[in-house]
Amino acid sequence: MGDLSISALLIRFILGGTAVVVSTLVARNLGEKAGGIFAAFPAVYLAALLTVGLDFSGDELVAHSILLSKGAIVGMGINIMVAILAGYLLPRQGWKRGLLQAMGFWLVLSMAVVMITTYS
Amino acid sequence: MYKDLLIRFILGGAAVMVSYLITVISPWKILAGIFAAFPAVMITAVLMVGIASGSKNAAKIANGSVFGMIGGVVCVATVWTVLQGSGNWTLSIVLGLLFWLGSSIIVSSFRDKLKNGRRNILRLNVLIRHK
Repeated sequence: MGDLSISALLIRFILGGTAVVVSTLVARNLGEKAGGIFAAFPAVYLAALLTVGLDFSGDELVAHSILLSKGAIVGMGINIMVAILAGYLLPRQGWKRGLLQAMGFWLVLSMAVVMITTYS
Repeated sequence: MYKDLLIRFILGGAAVMVSYLITVISPWKILAGIFAAFPAVMITAVLMVGIASGSKNAAKIANGSVFGMIGGVVCVATVWTVLQGSGNWTLSIVLGLLFWLGSSIIVSSFRDKLKNGRRNILRLNVLIRHK
């Protein structure tokens, strides 16, 4: 890889956005219980994984997908902490400040993971 | 309703785009995966409920999403394990989806039991007080 093209970026944007919207619409049409399950469908991760398949094949595809999954599992762990923190902050700080602080926490934690894994 | 879908589209699309940008130009490859797990759906849901019905209900959405994210962890872990074990990309995605569905159903029924359990304790407390 190494080359960055606008069309490749656009394809990712449309695929990622569509995946999230479709999973949302499916969730809404399934009724309360099944809808609740599908509302948490990991659409962004699966769209990212599928678009890796656009650039690579064979062993390279597997290696890049493993790298993506390695980061995504850390990301999902961070999300759980962010959601717990948001549940705590939102009633106390109001939803605007609470959500902003929770997102700030997501960013700080993500950067900390990057620093630890890169420079340790 | 459409505003909600539009925000989800933009956030989800941007997360996949940023994830791709990082794999091409940034030296921190792990960040691509972290962005691929970006909680676009949770953020939009919290945002929309916050606007429509206030901070308390928005907090409920955030708390509820913790359970859903467990399914996400299972999905990624399955894809990763199958990729490392077999090197079969398609199989890893199919199994990842199946394990996501299975774990989400288990977590959802566990959550229901937990809710019913709490409700019963509450009812019992009310009964005891009345007696």
